[in-house]
Amino acid sequence: MVTIDYVVFISFLIGLFIVGSILYKWVGEPDDYFVAGRNLPPFILAATLVATNVNLYSFIGQTGAAYQEGISIVWQAWTGNMAIVFSGLFILPIFRRLRVRTVPEYLELRYNRLVRSLVGLLWVFRLAFWLGVTMYTGAIAAETLTGIHSFTLWLFVFGIIAITFTTLGGMWSVALTDALQFVLMLGGALILLPLAMQSVGWTPGLIDKLPPGHFEFVKQHGNYNWQFMLAILVLGIQWASTDQGMIQRTFSANSVRTIVKGMVWAGIITTPFILIILLPGLVAAVNTPGLENIDVAYPMMMAKTLAPFLLGLMVCGLFSSHLSTVDSNLNAVATVFTADIYQAVFNRQASKKNVLWVARLTTVLAGILMILVAYIVPLLGGAVQAYLTIISIMDMPLFVVAVIYGLLWRRSNWQGALAGYLAGALAGIVARFGFGVDVNVTTFISAGAALVVCPIVSLLTPLTDENQLLTIWKAKKADQEEQSLGQAYNIFPQSFWAKTGTLVLGLGLVSFVTGALIGSTGQSFLASIFAIGGMLVFFTGGLIKVYAR
Amino acid sequence: MFDWFIWGLELVGVVILVAWIILPVKEVKHIIQQMRK
Repeated sequence: MVTIDYVVFISFLIGLFIVGSILYKWVGEPDDYFVAGRNLPPFILAATLVATNVNLYSFIGQTGAAYQEGISIVWQAWTGNMAIVFSGLFILPIFRRLRVRTVPEYLELRYNRLVRSLVGLLWVFRLAFWLGVTMYTGAIAAETLTGIHSFTLWLFVFGIIAITFTTLGGMWSVALTDALQFVLMLGGALILLPLAMQSVGWTPGLIDKLPPGHFEFVKQHGNYNWQFMLAILVLGIQWASTDQGMIQRTFSANSVRTIVKGMVWAGIITTPFILIILLPGLVAAVNTPGLENIDVAYPMMMAKTLAPFLLGLMVCGLFSSHLSTVDSNLNAVATVFTADIYQAVFNRQASKKNVLWVARLTTVLAGILMILVAYIVPLLGGAVQAYLTIISIMDMPLFVVAVIYGLLWRRSNWQGALAGYLAGALAGIVARFGFGVDVNVTTFISAGAALVVCPIVSLLTPLTDENQLLTIWKAKKADQEEQSLGQAYNIFPQSFWAKTGTLVLGLGLVSFVTGALIGSTGQSFLASIFAIGGMLVFFTGGLIKVYAR
Repeated sequence: MFDWFIWGLELVGVVILVAWIILPVKEVKHIIQQMRK
């Protein structure tokens, strides 16, 4: 980086403070802070959703994986997009109609307060740990890009800005940095792509020079093979329906129909975008093979290829991408703590002013905790693995009790949910630490235990109160407010076109799974046609369903 | 040879980029107008 790049970067940071202080005036009460007053329109919402699926890790981690193993890592983002569309069409409208802010809040409506507080408490720590890992990788990336090797400096620069920015504007800060980062990142990536491709003789040259199998979309072997495609789709649906950072953004939408539109558009738009990011990773595999740290592939391409000023802009993009991950999770910690612990357990009568004050204080404290965790990360060794372990143990059981049984089976009760959640987590801990099972298998073990234990305990204990169930089951249908605004969205398709859309979506999913299974035989080309074609058909079905009346 | 794949991606990317500048800015303007009322 040269002087002009630093000027661009510092102006950008000053700009953030100015925007933050303007947004401060937009936050009058707790809901403004937690869910932007439930006022987000469709395209800002879609931008924030895209930012959750494509972030600093896509640029650093996924391009690194593409550099090492080839293009098939693209399925991590593509199945994530399919999951966003699926969850937007079928699951999140229900949560939005219940007007909750967090998954634990929904758990109280469906089960009871004990389940809510316990899950809430565990999630505060889970989110704080994730934030620490994020801060660590952000600081490492900044060191590589700028050449200024001071971990503490970057940690504090990023930390203080993220804490201040989030504390000021809450969810509005999150949404606007997301929209901004998308423009900067996409703009930079669009400039980098042709320059990178030209250096290897465009697509034919790239395919010729790449190591064998690097341009196969569906692979028979390797880390990102056909099995990975199927497993990551299941994990993606779990993520898109229960991740706090993700769903909090959708709960900020101004209507149910906005959520569905925002989710479907976010999924579709990210699909070409991710290819634009990953291809330079493949180019790096040709131009600079044998990198010791694969995660520097993309930053290195940027530093080598982009002219001064443009590099500065792209660094701003990377930084705002990092900031958007950090601020959304800080906001999520503040929301979960304030709603599920402070308001639910300690002070049910808290005034709005009081709640807002607690939320801001929690944001600052969580920010300090995140900086401390970032310092411990290098000592833990394999922090990313440690984080994956936590989600494989904690997230799948939650998905099982909250979504699968919570929304689909009336007979499940709070005793079953609690037992299922704890049994799933315990089975995960035993498998991972007792038997050294890998993270992928741990995911299925913890989910399996919750799937088995929840119904057994539920059947042995009393029924849930019918009125409580009615609230949840009623939310599956469009409510009066939606009807009166002419914005009704039906999860179960009613009209001819909505039914057609659902059918097309189903066919797309079948084609995608068929593609993955063909991949197991080694016929990569045929498998790619089925899988990619299936994904596109799936998106088309989603679009038809959204716009059908 | 003209690389249809890459320039096709670029075209899609530019369309998304332009839409992404126009649409959210419109939405923010609308919110600010409502707040002033």
